[in-house]
Amino acid sequence: MLAPETLHGTRIVASPAALDAVDWPEGTTVLRFAPDDMFAIGLLDPDSISVADESAIVAAESGYVGCWLDHAGLAHVVAHIEWPLPIERPALAQGFVAGVPAKLYLVGTSALLLTNAPYADELWERLS
Amino acid sequence: MSESSRIIVDGRLIPFEPGDSVALAVLRAGEHPHHGGTLCLAGDCPNCVCDVDGTAYVRTCQTPATPGLVVRRHPAVGAPALRPVPQPNVTRTPVLAEVAVRRHDADLVVIGAGESGIAAVGAAEASGRTVTMLDAGDGNEVVAIYSGPTVIVRRADAMVHIHAHDIVVATGAAELHPVCPGNMLIGIVTARAALAMHAAGIDLGNVVAVGEPPYGVPCSVVAGTLVRIEGADGIVTSVVTTDDGVETTTACTTLIIGLGLAGRDLLSRMAADDASVSLVGPAAQKFALPPCPTEGIVCPCSKVTVVDLQGVWDRGFQQLELVKRASLCGTGTCQGGVCGPYLRSFVSDRSGLTPEPFTARPASRQITLAEAAADVYTDVFRRSPLHDEHLALGAQLDRFGGWFRPWNYGDHVAEYWAVREAVSLGDVSTLGKLVVSGPDSVELLERLYPTTVADIKVGRSRYVLLLNERGHLIDDGMICRESETRFVLTFTSGGAANAEMWVRDWAETWGLRVHILDQTMSLAAINVTGPLASLLLQRVGLADPPKFLQHRHDVVAGVACHVMRLSFTGEASFELHHRADRSVELWRALMTAGRDLGIKPHGLQALFGLRLEKGHVIVGMDSEMDSTPTRLNMDWAVKMSKPDFLGKSALARIAELPNERRLFGFTIPGDAPTEGSPIWIGGSIVGHVASSFTSPLLGHGVMLGWIKHRPWPGDGGPDTVQIDGRTATVAEPPFYDPEGRRARS
Repeated sequence: MLAPETLHGTRIVASPAALDAVDWPEGTTVLRFAPDDMFAIGLLDPDSISVADESAIVAAESGYVGCWLDHAGLAHVVAHIEWPLPIERPALAQGFVAGVPAKLYLVGTSALLLTNAPYADELWERLS
Repeated sequence: MSESSRIIVDGRLIPFEPGDSVALAVLRAGEHPHHGGTLCLAGDCPNCVCDVDGTAYVRTCQTPATPGLVVRRHPAVGAPALRPVPQPNVTRTPVLAEVAVRRHDADLVVIGAGESGIAAVGAAEASGRTVTMLDAGDGNEVVAIYSGPTVIVRRADAMVHIHAHDIVVATGAAELHPVCPGNMLIGIVTARAALAMHAAGIDLGNVVAVGEPPYGVPCSVVAGTLVRIEGADGIVTSVVTTDDGVETTTACTTLIIGLGLAGRDLLSRMAADDASVSLVGPAAQKFALPPCPTEGIVCPCSKVTVVDLQGVWDRGFQQLELVKRASLCGTGTCQGGVCGPYLRSFVSDRSGLTPEPFTARPASRQITLAEAAADVYTDVFRRSPLHDEHLALGAQLDRFGGWFRPWNYGDHVAEYWAVREAVSLGDVSTLGKLVVSGPDSVELLERLYPTTVADIKVGRSRYVLLLNERGHLIDDGMICRESETRFVLTFTSGGAANAEMWVRDWAETWGLRVHILDQTMSLAAINVTGPLASLLLQRVGLADPPKFLQHRHDVVAGVACHVMRLSFTGEASFELHHRADRSVELWRALMTAGRDLGIKPHGLQALFGLRLEKGHVIVGMDSEMDSTPTRLNMDWAVKMSKPDFLGKSALARIAELPNERRLFGFTIPGDAPTEGSPIWIGGSIVGHVASSFTSPLLGHGVMLGWIKHRPWPGDGGPDTVQIDGRTATVAEPPFYDPEGRRARS
């Protein structure tokens, strides 16, 4: 049911104001892990964006694995979590899924389930 | 009767009637589901538990008979045999997913569908509450209540966790069992059990009742007090009662016991402090305790007798909880359902005080380990991007520092020689990797580390200790300077997560302008080590490998890498940090290019020996919770002349105190003793071996070990110690290449 794949993109750690001001290319899915930490999925060239923070750390990121879930897939995953999903959309939720640290990016009735690559096999084995 | 209406009991086919429980089917066949003891057929006692379809301790009176059900009686003495479990695959974390968990919210849960339960439902619904009724007869067996409250329900298809606003426990009352000589014979039943058997059409034979007889069951009622039950070949033949001191013996084949009731309040006692859990009906009733038992088995689960209770009491265990724990009375299958009232009566008789029932804890019924573990996951261990490569190469994987890591690839000595004489690859993807960037990055690192940082040139790196405020070692690693304001820090695999929090926490505490990115799980790393490491890297495109303690970004075998030159093995070593998704490609390219060089991968077993020959400390293995650099003989890594760093003031204070422990190196002829072996001086244990390795190159054992008593070797103490009954010599590490020429070559 779930077909995870490596999520290629760019990781940016910079001041919150600088991140807020970034002009993301079309087709980029931006996950705000923390006020100063973003993962731009689909942004394959870290040099293609401008970040107004000379100390920013901008690095290619391929250390996450994930897959998009439809409503039924999300319901399956939710059966393996003990914390309430946020009500607002879009929203990024982080916590244990089947005992594995993971994140859920919730958009409408679908969601992107992602985890660090070293956890991925274990997570998908537990969910399958 | 069709052939399909049979169960298999101890290998024999036993027919059953529609509606029969397993216990009733066995009784219908003229047998006993256990090996004797009073039967209640209400789920209160342990006297019908069997192994059913491979699950032990199943109450057969509550288990519907279904065609083909395989039942095995427990042994008359002792526990049922454990089922053989297949050898687990240690490379995989066990997943206990056999039993599903469902979660529900509920307004009011009523447990029990008897009269009091139905009354509670009616009253609640009349007041507008939404009620969920649970009853074992409907397949909802409540096994626990936790504060909250949460009800744990066992169903055939899942465990159900119900988070309720309120809970009403209406579980009724259980019948008292007899406690007297002969109470474990076959043929004794409670009044309700007799009713159930009679209703099922089971021939009870010559029936005698003591106490209150069941309505509608033909029997002779014997007056007086029960004294003992007599039998032959384990089966009841007569009952002896006394009335005004005169004993009367009455022959029977079935003895019905009607001695009274005790409230079933086990579930409510699990959440005794939770005001949202209430008890109603007979379960809440304060029934009179039975007379204090004088002879016989009180606890049929653990076969605890009155004599046993007295023995415990005489040894000073004179409170209910103490008697329970010392005798095990009340700790068995029925959790005090049978023995509880008698135990309280016993304590009341001896102490003059009537104790409340003992503490109840989940689960009230035997649940399987899979049911108990349902939805509980074991700790997850990470897999490096090279996990499958390791398995394909025959690696024995083990769990270290939160990761699956190769322990060896079948021959750790061959792996050792590959490092010492040729070239070898090690997967060090598990190392912590932190990027620190910002105008205050030097300030941060100067405060964090006891080493000077500002003088590290761009493109150079330095080994560093990480100390806490007490001056104790918490981790170690490398600092690589990438620019004036940007650094890459590495940490140990097991310490990386704490180190990241440590660095972030102090950066925030000090209000420094830095950005921090943890790339531990985003980047993989391969250590290329051995005298032919440079040659191998040249073959795959790194024309001019960095010099010792240099690092730079370059392309290796087509993969962008951060190449760090260092050495943990004692040989020239290059860590290639790279994108995790390119790791397999890089690993295979290196293995292919090094084939004629004798390349082999090495696991931790070889690595631990290689580094021990060099005397390199592994944090957490050689260090202890309060190990200072001085105790580790690593003062060379501390610059006390720095203005300040975390732990400096503590180290200064500690320096004024006598140092009573230190890590020493030792050599010993022959094989190295086991790690953890005591170190002896003059007949006293003075420390222990922290790491040991039998060096193939040196031909003897080498060790690091703690001596925690003065005088020390070289300071008035002896230069030899006894380990494993042999003489070991104190020797300052490194044991191999003390000048470090090979690492720099």
